[in-house]
Amino acid sequence: MNLGRIPAVATEEWKETVRDRLFLLMAFLLPPLWMVVFGHGLVLDVEHVPFAVLDRDQSSMSRDYLYRFMGSRYFDYHGSVKDAREIDRLLGDTAIRMAIIVPDRFQEQLLAGRPVTVQTLLDGTFPLHADTLKGYVIAINHAFTQELLTGFLARTRGLGPEEAHRIAEPVSIETRYLYNQEVRSTWSMVPALIMFSMMVASPLLTALGVVREKETGSIYNIYSATVSKAEFLIGKLVPYFVISTINVVVLWLLAVLIFRVPFKGSFPVFLTASLLFVLCATGIGLIISLLVRTQMAALIITIIIAMVPTILFSGLLVPVSSLSPGAQMQAHLFPAMYYTDVVRGSFLKGLELEDTWTDLLALGGFAVVLRLVAYGLFTKRPKV
Amino acid sequence: MSKNDGSSFEVVRLWALRLFVMTRKELLQLGRDVPLLLFLLYSFSLSVYISGAGIAMQLSNASLLVHDGDHSESSRELIHRFREPYFRFDGDVSDPKEGLARLDRGTAMVLLDIPPRFHESILGREPVTVQLQVDTTNAPQGLSAAAYAARIVGGFSFDLALSRLGAASNNEMPMPMVESAHRVWFNKDQDETWFQSISHILRMITLFAFLLPAAALVREKEHGTVEQLLVSPVTPLQIMLSKVLAMTLVILAATTLSMVTVLKPVFGVPIKGSVALFFLVTMLYTFTIAGLGLFAATVTKNQAQVGMIALLVIAPMLLLSGITTPFEAMPPWVQSLMALSPLRYYIDVTYGVLLKGVGLELLWDSILTMALLGGVLFGLGLWRFRRQFA
Repeated sequence: MNLGRIPAVATEEWKETVRDRLFLLMAFLLPPLWMVVFGHGLVLDVEHVPFAVLDRDQSSMSRDYLYRFMGSRYFDYHGSVKDAREIDRLLGDTAIRMAIIVPDRFQEQLLAGRPVTVQTLLDGTFPLHADTLKGYVIAINHAFTQELLTGFLARTRGLGPEEAHRIAEPVSIETRYLYNQEVRSTWSMVPALIMFSMMVASPLLTALGVVREKETGSIYNIYSATVSKAEFLIGKLVPYFVISTINVVVLWLLAVLIFRVPFKGSFPVFLTASLLFVLCATGIGLIISLLVRTQMAALIITIIIAMVPTILFSGLLVPVSSLSPGAQMQAHLFPAMYYTDVVRGSFLKGLELEDTWTDLLALGGFAVVLRLVAYGLFTKRPKV
Repeated sequence: MSKNDGSSFEVVRLWALRLFVMTRKELLQLGRDVPLLLFLLYSFSLSVYISGAGIAMQLSNASLLVHDGDHSESSRELIHRFREPYFRFDGDVSDPKEGLARLDRGTAMVLLDIPPRFHESILGREPVTVQLQVDTTNAPQGLSAAAYAARIVGGFSFDLALSRLGAASNNEMPMPMVESAHRVWFNKDQDETWFQSISHILRMITLFAFLLPAAALVREKEHGTVEQLLVSPVTPLQIMLSKVLAMTLVILAATTLSMVTVLKPVFGVPIKGSVALFFLVTMLYTFTIAGLGLFAATVTKNQAQVGMIALLVIAPMLLLSGITTPFEAMPPWVQSLMALSPLRYYIDVTYGVLLKGVGLELLWDSILTMALLGGVLFGLGLWRFRRQFA
């Protein structure tokens, strides 16, 4: 390998990239733009759920009960309906996601010390929401029941309110949210968005860089030139590696300065992981570019391979531990998961090298294997 | 029939013939790209299966560690209530610090800490509090785990209160309480495979509908063949329309494939509404997105630029339109921005038709908005294309 030829290939690629102003602008603009848009906009919390009520009791107690839903930030009151058929229509039209039906004699039964069943109808198209909503409803019903019971015991047994409360709720729970005390989805999102931006933009840059030469035929210059396979592959990567590295630093600054996500871990570990990850991401692009002939195929396959597993199987939205075994396998075969672990750990948990070395090793392994595969696939004597 | 009518019929026939020839050319060109075709097949079959079967966003098997400082009958009973499918008991720790270290490493998600004298306090009728530490690096899952834990402890506490009151009064004493009865509509068992597999198809349709025509048009620009087309008797409208038609056909075929090979037989998605309506709307949606893609192709010079524009436009659409996250909770500016996203309306229609079984009478407004967006986008693309070349 002649080290002098690598800069030559790199310079050629760099010039080609820089000449394309729109492309260059997007390469630097997209990642921070994504971080700002998704960091602020991608809210995972189930809140402001529109709901309607059918109050068959119309008593002061039923109104008091329903106010608890109306006053909650999780729900947005959409109105009151007269009969159940209207609920069907509203749910079908997605105007509401939930309906609460308070039965008649609600107040009468409760004052008499009898249990009452309140029915909620939930839109199950998005099962996670339905499940979260159920949790909210049960929590509100539980709190309401506690109060009823306390009042009931105080009335029927002549207990003081404290005593009655103690009997009504003998065991309580105190929850501490670790690493993200206010449970802001921004804090879990923003570090993972660094991963998302790197994973989606860098392979595309690399893949198109190589296929462009194949499609325009300029790759024959490379085939016939003295430049070796390794020199070509390394030289091609340099510009995109530089661009991606700058982007990592910019994204880190954005996360810390604009989103104020605490960075508790070690910066060298974060940076090492990021550089390894950039090597993996560009490696994926490189392999795709060697397998296809047209830029169109390279473009489509890279975007989908980069975007879909990154959204679904990297821990960005769904923790890898709650995937099915098959999907977990796919997640482990993809470098994004390991990097997400390191980034989130470095930001929120303050993990150091001794906690993350396995992930770093995995990333390093991917980077090497992807390079070797690319080296094996690339041939200067293509069959036509 | 007058001579005039005959020639106008002839014009229409010729126009249609040219469009047909161009469309066939697009299909042939796509058919030659074997890696791309294979990938298309994968995306609409195996990939739909993997996402449908693999992704469970509902809390399942959250790894639970327990520090039992009491080791009593009561503590065991409480621990026993944390069970599958929500929690998976992953062992006892003798020291809370050890549990926290495992939360740090990410090998456990929840640590339940039961204080010493738990049983004694319960017997002595003193209030007692158990502690829960939850890893919220993934906020929604963490919250969900906390909610389930609160529900479990609440139930335990309530049962205790009831049994105690019942025992004290020696007879079945009535208690006032509000019980929850839920009915989940459209997906009774909250089967997540339905949601995830349909979402995945929507994602794939969006990506392909944008990228296929856009890349095909830019390729002609890059290779200079678009000039050849323009000196031929086909009009800019025919050039654009043929690309959209060809790609729409391909995407509809792929969608059919994933419905008959994965959605129905594997996941048993009940297709409640009219399949014809679903396909009509899908065609409209593909047209709309293809219009967007062609517009992008007219403002760019090469495939790399189209790729970047696609990322710029499609990534926010996919993440913010409501297939991955609840739409209602998004900040107002995202909601108004996403009013422009055709996917926003297509989601409502798709779930409406496939799962809810509703028809035009409820969905007409979404469909109309989508058609308007599609018309505008397609018109813009055509206008740019004409200005550039004609």
